[in-house]
Amino acid sequence: MRDVAIVSFAQAPAQSRVETTETQMLYPVVNEAIARSGLERRDIGFTCSGSADYLQGAPFAFVGNLEATGAWPPISESHVEMDGAWALYEAWVRLQHGDVDAALVFSSGISSKANLREVLCLQSDPYYLMPLWADPWSLAALQARAFLDANGHDERSLAEVVARSRRLASGNPNAQVSGEVSVDDLLAEPHVVSPLRASDAPPVSDGAAAIVLVAGEAAREACEHPAWIRGIDHRADPHYPGVRDLSTSASARQAAEAAGVAGGPVEVAELHASFSHEELILRDALGLDDDVEVNPSGGPLCGNPMMVSGLVRLGEAFRQINEHGKQRTVGHAASGPCLQQNLVCVLEGDA
Amino acid sequence: MADRATETEDGRLKFMQQMISLDYAIRVPVVSREFGRRLKDGEISGHECPQCGLVYVPPRGFCPICVVETTWEQDAVTVSDTGTLTSWTVLTPIQYHGQQERDDYALASILLDGADGTIGQQRLLDIPLDEIRMGVRVEAVWADPSERSGESGDPRGYGFGDAIRGFRPSGEPDADRETYEKHTL
Amino acid sequence: MAERVAVVGIGQTHHRKVRDDVSLAGLLREAGQRALDDAEMTWTDVDAVVIGTAPDSFEGVMMPELYLADALGAAGKPIMRVHTAGSVGGSTAVVASHLVSSGVRQRVLTIAFEKQSEGDTTWGLSGGRSGGVGAGGYFAPHIRAYISRSNAPEYVGWMVAVKDRRNALKNPYAHLQLPDIDLDAVKESPMVWEPVRRLESCPASDGACAMVLTDEAGGDAASKPPAWVHGTAIRSELGQFPGRDPVNPRGGQDCAADVYAQTGITDPLRDIDVVECYVPFSWYEPMWMENLGFAEIGEGWKLTETGATELDGDLPVNCSGGVLSSNPIGASGMLRFAEAAMQVRGQAGEHQVDGARTALGHAYGGASQFFAMWVVRSDKP
Repeated sequence: MRDVAIVSFAQAPAQSRVETTETQMLYPVVNEAIARSGLERRDIGFTCSGSADYLQGAPFAFVGNLEATGAWPPISESHVEMDGAWALYEAWVRLQHGDVDAALVFSSGISSKANLREVLCLQSDPYYLMPLWADPWSLAALQARAFLDANGHDERSLAEVVARSRRLASGNPNAQVSGEVSVDDLLAEPHVVSPLRASDAPPVSDGAAAIVLVAGEAAREACEHPAWIRGIDHRADPHYPGVRDLSTSASARQAAEAAGVAGGPVEVAELHASFSHEELILRDALGLDDDVEVNPSGGPLCGNPMMVSGLVRLGEAFRQINEHGKQRTVGHAASGPCLQQNLVCVLEGDA
Repeated sequence: MADRATETEDGRLKFMQQMISLDYAIRVPVVSREFGRRLKDGEISGHECPQCGLVYVPPRGFCPICVVETTWEQDAVTVSDTGTLTSWTVLTPIQYHGQQERDDYALASILLDGADGTIGQQRLLDIPLDEIRMGVRVEAVWADPSERSGESGDPRGYGFGDAIRGFRPSGEPDADRETYEKHTL
Repeated sequence: MAERVAVVGIGQTHHRKVRDDVSLAGLLREAGQRALDDAEMTWTDVDAVVIGTAPDSFEGVMMPELYLADALGAAGKPIMRVHTAGSVGGSTAVVASHLVSSGVRQRVLTIAFEKQSEGDTTWGLSGGRSGGVGAGGYFAPHIRAYISRSNAPEYVGWMVAVKDRRNALKNPYAHLQLPDIDLDAVKESPMVWEPVRRLESCPASDGACAMVLTDEAGGDAASKPPAWVHGTAIRSELGQFPGRDPVNPRGGQDCAADVYAQTGITDPLRDIDVVECYVPFSWYEPMWMENLGFAEIGEGWKLTETGATELDGDLPVNCSGGVLSSNPIGASGMLRFAEAAMQVRGQAGEHQVDGARTALGHAYGGASQFFAMWVVRSDKP
């Protein structure tokens, strides 16, 4: 495979109820990512974005986002109705061809326009699950219960994830939720959907993010410390919660193997764990040792713009190499209820 | 959920109707809010890109070509409420769920005097459907000030909300083709 | 491109107004199974799945790749979902081809679909609000502008409508089967979106289209002749800004120039044997003929008028019956790409163009702002 690196990353702070259009939220982020890469707009040979119409409640909502790219003259551009991490995957595939050397990836989502728990019910099988309005919280609770029962953990393990995430988020200006909170205080909260409490779930966030990828030696010109994509792959699990072992994530394990996570020591992993128990499931599925630092940004529990959160994980994994001198990090993205789809990206510095 | 079902002749269920209702709270973006306020005062306004000079009505708060910010403080312009009809269609409304239009009606693209792009999907009023043609000079038909909510109609920043009911012939002679042919749509 | 890409399997559903005999997943399975049968492969032979469809609100299923993963045998595999408005069927095929040409995957199943009967497209297009104009209402002013600029006689639109429906009579999968169609029938059909008459418009269809794409080894091993992908291109441009020309959009011109450059096409009219382009309203045939470089500006309608675009003409266009005869929206672009491949494989049955060796597949979407194209040939690149 051709060597491709992340050379810049920009994001809008996760927040609720932004007062701009999605495109207005997005274009400064795109501009910033391009500016940080040192490239000109015309140097970008391929653009790919991720978003979901149902968040806006409007068909073709993604079309307006094209305005954030200044698509005139026309550009070579594609869109996935998926988290931006899959847009990055498509861009990485595109860069393998050798005819273009730089790609722009972005995603945006305004999750706060409707009741997100209701909207996401439409992700379920339209004949057998959707009519039950089986919302992702309830499905997550089923998975949390299966995980706790199978692994001998209790709810304190979940609260510990939340407390650690919020403490780390204090250092992240883009986080929506942060601060010191004790495990006992968290456990004193009522359940929302047992065994999950409100704090075990992510906030409803609006946000946007952009990443620039550059292939080959040019990446070192664009960026002092590029993060090389050493492996990237994704896998899906079956849709029906009843046919899976919910206590684990087979597809995350497969994606991690295909991406080569085990090929070296991992210093930091940014995991798209939207619920506290998902972090524990993913740690196991990705084969991360206890000494791996997980979600130093605070993770999705502290800011979770739908369709963006996975791309942000890849961006944060890049920042660990680019800004914090790490050598080998992992970014992970998920899609669908109960971690149905998983993408794993292994990044390395120049050492 | 199923309030209507269809069955095959031998009684098997073929279709069951499931109406899905989701409520969205549309927040009017800050840029559109000021546009709507000015409309309430009877003024059609836009932003002029500080880089390329194109005038966008309604304004988006940025120029999508140069991808630079535009603001009310720096870049606001007022345009005329008269313009030229550049293209149109007459629609027979499709009766989907929630459709309130029943009769044929005309929608046109209007190039307002002072704006650089047309505004699409504008209702044509006071003109027989078979007399519509490119180049007709038109003027805005304003709603009574008491009926203007001050909100532009679309969260994406298109249209005039409830301030302008549509456009009607202004009585001026038709515009020369050269004045609008670069802005057919 | 690094690796050669072969189309070794093609399948489609029987497109109908209502396919109440299958679920949404069943519709995709039907197309997918036919493509796999054609390729002499099974679901387990597939490395990756790429699906495409138009807005989720058309069926009320958000991110349907999640629900469809099981039915498409994608559990344990990578599955992606592309959405680029009306061009999506074409863009999806391009993404699938890139997975192979990049060397990342060897055998990719790609499926595009729409089950319009399980939702309400016009409602979906309007975002649930009153006053939605539908695609026809949106494109009608563009068509009017074309007619005005080119001074084309109005019967040209009727001719396209008749030609494509007669081609559809030769295509057992086509939705509309109108044996009695003629110019008078089109002319007398109701005006829906002035100047577009009902019979100059596409139907609303349920349907899906699937293709199996493999690397060179897969193409060489296939027992039936593959179609070889010689070039792919996509372009997007802003949908609305002052001075934009959606009648002859630059994105379409650039996209065509890109794919022609990749494939050594210098005179499209001479070098391309058959074209499948996205014509949802009859006038888009002459409009795209100009945009794609088959005719000078203002002259595209003459290709229709002289019969060049007929099945037995110099440049057969939409031999399958086109979008005017079957319009499962999300699949419509892939059906164009698939028909192009079928033609160069000699697989198009009664609507086969004799000796077709080079074919162009074309799709567009949004405000005539998204474009996807590929050129396929019977010979290896």
